[in-house]
Amino acid sequence: MITLRDVTKSYGEVTAVDRVSFEVPSGEVCVLIGPSGCGKTTTLRMINRLIEPTSGTIEIDGRDIMDSRPEELRRHIGYVIQSVGLFPHLTVAENVATVPKLLGWERRRYEPKALELLEIVGLPPAEYAEKYPRQLSGGQAQRVGVARALAADPPLLLMDEPFGAVDPLTRERLQAEFARIQRELRKTVIFVTHDVDEAIKLADRIALMRAGRLEQYDTPETLLDHPASKFVHDFMGSDRALKRLGRACVADVMRTDVESTTDGTRAIPREACTDSRFVYLTDESGVLEGWVDCRVLDAGTPPEDAGTPVDWREAAVHPETTLKDALSRMLGFGFRNVAVVDAQGRLVGEVSLAAIEATMADADTHIANLEEGEVLGALPDEEARS
Amino acid sequence: MVALTGCALLPFVEFRANRIVSGEPESVLAAGIAGWVLVAFVVLALAGAVAPERARGPLLLAAGAGSGLALLWALGVAAVRLQQGAPAIARVSIGPGAWLAGLGALVVWFAGTRATGSARVRRTAGAVALLGVAAVLMWGGLAELSIAREYAVQSRRFWGLVRQHLVLAGSGVGFGVLIGIPLGVLASRNRVVREVGLGVVSVIQTIPSMAMLGLLIAPLSALGLAAIGTTPAVIALTLYALLPVMRNTFVGLAGVDPGVIDAGRGMGMGRLQLLVRVEAPLALPLVIEGVRAAAVLVIGIAAVTAFIGAGGLGILVFQGWGQQADDLTLLGAIPMVVLAVLADISMRGLRRLVVSPGIEEGAVS
Ligand SMILES: Nc1ncnc2c1ncn2[C@@H]1O[C@H](COP(=O)(O)OP(=O)(O)OP(=O)(O)O)[C@@H](O)[C@H]1O
Ligand SMILES: [Mg+2]
Repeated sequence: MITLRDVTKSYGEVTAVDRVSFEVPSGEVCVLIGPSGCGKTTTLRMINRLIEPTSGTIEIDGRDIMDSRPEELRRHIGYVIQSVGLFPHLTVAENVATVPKLLGWERRRYEPKALELLEIVGLPPAEYAEKYPRQLSGGQAQRVGVARALAADPPLLLMDEPFGAVDPLTRERLQAEFARIQRELRKTVIFVTHDVDEAIKLADRIALMRAGRLEQYDTPETLLDHPASKFVHDFMGSDRALKRLGRACVADVMRTDVESTTDGTRAIPREACTDSRFVYLTDESGVLEGWVDCRVLDAGTPPEDAGTPVDWREAAVHPETTLKDALSRMLGFGFRNVAVVDAQGRLVGEVSLAAIEATMADADTHIANLEEGEVLGALPDEEARS
Repeated sequence: MVALTGCALLPFVEFRANRIVSGEPESVLAAGIAGWVLVAFVVLALAGAVAPERARGPLLLAAGAGSGLALLWALGVAAVRLQQGAPAIARVSIGPGAWLAGLGALVVWFAGTRATGSARVRRTAGAVALLGVAAVLMWGGLAELSIAREYAVQSRRFWGLVRQHLVLAGSGVGFGVLIGIPLGVLASRNRVVREVGLGVVSVIQTIPSMAMLGLLIAPLSALGLAAIGTTPAVIALTLYALLPVMRNTFVGLAGVDPGVIDAGRGMGMGRLQLLVRVEAPLALPLVIEGVRAAAVLVIGIAAVTAFIGAGGLGILVFQGWGQQADDLTLLGAIPMVVLAVLADISMRGLRRLVVSPGIEEGAVS
């Protein structure tokens, strides 16, 4: 658990962080979000003493961070930054082993650990351990950055816009992977971002900051449904029903009893399409290669022409994809159904627009109820408040 | 082209009745068939210059090495032929035409190394060229050249002077590194050291070497130290070595990506750990480059210190000038060039050895 009490940082006249207090329970992800310059980075860097607070206290599991040497403190806190900061002269494995070496671990302890972590972040060690950072793509480098932060098994992880510098698709994948790793490892994480969708997707709690102050600290649902101020309301955006879809993932609503065949289009009898519209085509190992729309078969197209070959990397979603991303993918393709594949492209199910709509309807009625009631009416008036 | 015309029009070698009188020019044809081989290689170099991209590198390498070797051969042949029947004190000096041809051969060779993509081809060509040079030297024709005769006279002194030169330049660079690297590190940490230190060291660099030796007299006598001899020479050389080493150390450290430093600090490295484990390895290529520049510079300047009695190859150069014996001057000058080239090559080798492949261009595929 990590506790900030009235933490303030001033640079002369400028108050970068102004009496911020919040508490992050162990194993939770707290996302710090807010407009540029609102003090997110400063807050984060005060926790590992890269910046010393002007006043206020910070405790980790009840211990004041001022009681330990800064270097000692930092070796027990994982740290990931947007620029990654991999050491270019060291191999990937050496980079990952940095903190364990600082802690004086022996080689036979840190080496397997480094390889294991590379595996966890999705970089097969056989291929990547001996590479140098400049041989990596931005997304791969960021994975190494995460592995490096996790190497000494710190209970606390500080991440400053870790996925800020990669393309949207890679970012989506990294987020999903981060969520998976976090489900496994249950670290206490403080995560800085600009991106509301990222915050909603990953946060257990969101700390929304504005000009050095903490505006609201609560679960994403509460920030969406009960914004404490007009600023919070505007910052979170008006498409709240859609945003809520960022909280659920495909695995929650997909059906797994899909029809598939490895025999190519030729062998598909009309009877295969009894209750689903699509029959998926895969290779022997189950990797998605295309699909057949049964209505096309019905229309009398010969089976060998009915198949649509696709590349799963483009035309499918993953179980951990958020419903929001799945929906935008469907709208982009113009399909009402989309295949779900695992990381290797093997077909695992199918998600339909109807299933997503059902989730949305739940949320809608929920929000509609709230909106009829107190929420909007009770919105504190911005001018009156300040 | 220049080399070709130079070779054809300017005297190739000069024949003198003795060491000092001015010589009679002889053309490249004095070398007979060897001269024609040389001309053939020059033509090959021209062909190489207009050859298609892929063949250009190897062709230029072959032409450069070939014309260089043919040049040495031709010089030897010409010398042997002209010396025949002449009195023992007669001398055959290398003429301007041969110098130009030599320069041309070097230019062609280096153009070749740049145009050749494959390191294997470059290395093989280098080895072949070296073997060729060794063979020509063993053949002995060159011993008839004036410069070789000067060497024969000076041989006992010569190697002592080379060693002296190396010690002078080596101490200068050594002390320059010992002082310059810490100063560079301080400059990257401290603004005052950076502005004052780099400023002072740059000013030192602009002082001409002769003036420097003069300027050192006063402070050294004040300290009760000899103003001539080895001590002031090494001090002067150290001062010259300082700037490249210090500035490159500073620039190397200042150029380390701040994100990398932030990451290092954030992971719990102390100042010293950060310097040793992160900053130093990343600044290393530039530091070595600074040492290399310092070594080449100081090997040249060390010639001047012969004036204040520090010894070294400068002695041969100055004696040659004093006696108007150009070939004695050359006997001092050429080994200096060789030393500078060797220093250059060994620093590049060192760099390849100690710099991480992660930060060297083209080191990893
Ligand atoms: N060393 C400093 N000296 C003076 N002012 C500073 C310093 N560091 C930060 N600030 C100011 O403090 C404020 C908060 O900065 P901070 O970097 O924490 O913002 P941020 O929320 O991380 O912004 P961004 O989203 O752009 O990264 C800014 O107004 C910045 O100008
Ligand atoms: Mg920031």
